[in-house]
Amino acid sequence: MNEAERQRRLIESLFASRADAQALPTRESGARALRGLQAYRANGDASAARALATAFPTVQMLLGEENFEHLAREFWRADPPVHGDLGDWGDTLPVWIAQHAGLAEWPYLADCARLDWALHCCERAEDAALDAASISRLGDTDPSRLVLLLMPGTALVESTWPIAAIHAAHRRHDEQAFDAVRASIAQQRGEAVLVSRQGFKAVPQVVDAGTARWTQRLLAGDDLATAIEHAAAGFDFGNWLTQALQSNWVKGIRVLPD
Amino acid sequence: MAANGLAPDTPSGAEEAARRAPRAGIGLRHPHYGELMQRLPALGFIEVHSENFFADGGAALAVLQQAREHYDVSLHGVGLALGSAAGVDPWHLDRLARLVQRVAPVRVSDHACFARAPRQAGTPALHANDLLPIAFTDAALDILCANVSQVQDRLKRPILVENLSAYLSFSDDTLAEPAFFAELCRRSGCGMLLDVNNLMVNALNAGAADPLASCLAFIDQLPLGIAGEIHLAGYCQTEDIVIDDHGSRVRPDVWTAYAHALRRFGSVPTLIEWDTDVPALDVLLAEADHTSMLLRDQAGVAS
Repeated sequence: MNEAERQRRLIESLFASRADAQALPTRESGARALRGLQAYRANGDASAARALATAFPTVQMLLGEENFEHLAREFWRADPPVHGDLGDWGDTLPVWIAQHAGLAEWPYLADCARLDWALHCCERAEDAALDAASISRLGDTDPSRLVLLLMPGTALVESTWPIAAIHAAHRRHDEQAFDAVRASIAQQRGEAVLVSRQGFKAVPQVVDAGTARWTQRLLAGDDLATAIEHAAAGFDFGNWLTQALQSNWVKGIRVLPD
Repeated sequence: MAANGLAPDTPSGAEEAARRAPRAGIGLRHPHYGELMQRLPALGFIEVHSENFFADGGAALAVLQQAREHYDVSLHGVGLALGSAAGVDPWHLDRLARLVQRVAPVRVSDHACFARAPRQAGTPALHANDLLPIAFTDAALDILCANVSQVQDRLKRPILVENLSAYLSFSDDTLAEPAFFAELCRRSGCGMLLDVNNLMVNALNAGAADPLASCLAFIDQLPLGIAGEIHLAGYCQTEDIVIDDHGSRVRPDVWTAYAHALRRFGSVPTLIEWDTDVPALDVLLAEADHTSMLLRDQAGVAS
């Protein structure tokens, strides 16, 4: 057997739904071979649960630890990592959750996972500081040649569920907060959530529909003239810029070539 | 003090060698970040898992960069999967090269294992994120040498490759593990990161009649000068298998094997690994102090 096939067989045994060491050309045999294989399978399951719990803490709190470990085991086998950094694994979990019939009891879970992932990625994003000098180009350059850059890691998560309220309630551990969330869920009150970093901490902030639309355009890379043209009626760029600079949302302005 | 009280003290060769002996290092673990930076205990180096610092930015990287101002840093990877027939993941190598650039580590290391392989033939490789055993065959050695050389070419420096604790081994091995490592180091120019605890775990799991004697024999079969770093850790004895969990103090037999390794290889930089059930920092520092004492003793004897 060549080395590639030997390694493929071990990988197949690790990610199969049931442990079976019979196809492996190991020195160990019988129960001892199975025990060795199980040690590796347990490592994988533990790594998956630990990595996903770090990236998806709200999902873990919603499901409870035992259910979450079960989910992690299943996802590990359904969509295993392709890189050796588990902090980078999990971007497809929200879609997987949305399609999972067994999780239909939590219809907001997939969107909560999207928010968790956006926060996780934001905290791993490149550190950056405001390029204050670049802001002056707003006064001397045609807006069609300017692109407003948001800080690395900034994201917008829109949902038909109150995902920011669910996120906050699970950190307050306050029954009143959960009562308010239950009422919002019952009314299916959606939220648009801007994710940005304050220091090293990613912070979710509910924004109005106009700000959400504007943020979408900026994240898509529109020049300022196009973004303003597509902004919601009544959107006030000056007010937004003041808030954005105070909240550390803006990295700077990029001038497009003529 | 000098006998007449006039001339300055002149340390003997043994004392000077002991003074210059490397101090042991510890792993930088999240629960200790704040306390370590506040106390700044005397350590030879700190070691981190490279992959924990692959992000573009963020708090963990800032802590590492802060620690780097006070300590030498050893980057110890768990994800290069150097023995993978599917090759080294270019994404992983890019991230590692960037981290090496950022922290200028004193050493870079990873394991003689694989993790990248397709689940089905013809499909893309997945990454099992574990230290999976490779066979000790000529073909496996060729793969490992090629991958190690690729990494060293990219990083422009030699790396160290660690021996595994393995829960499975292969019936068609054709090389003894020490000879496998000797050949790996000779052909690729890398060094060996000798994990003494892993030798003991493997000897116990293989049912060796005298596990300590097995470890000493392994060490004796390695060429002099091969070891660039040594790892020490605790293991967990379950009913039917020994698990290398890095979750307790170093066992007495492992200390004995370590002392034997120091006699053979000299005062090699040594790490106390403790990755699960991480204890209070003082417990870890006490293990490191004991290790430093053995390193000093060996340096004094060798001189």
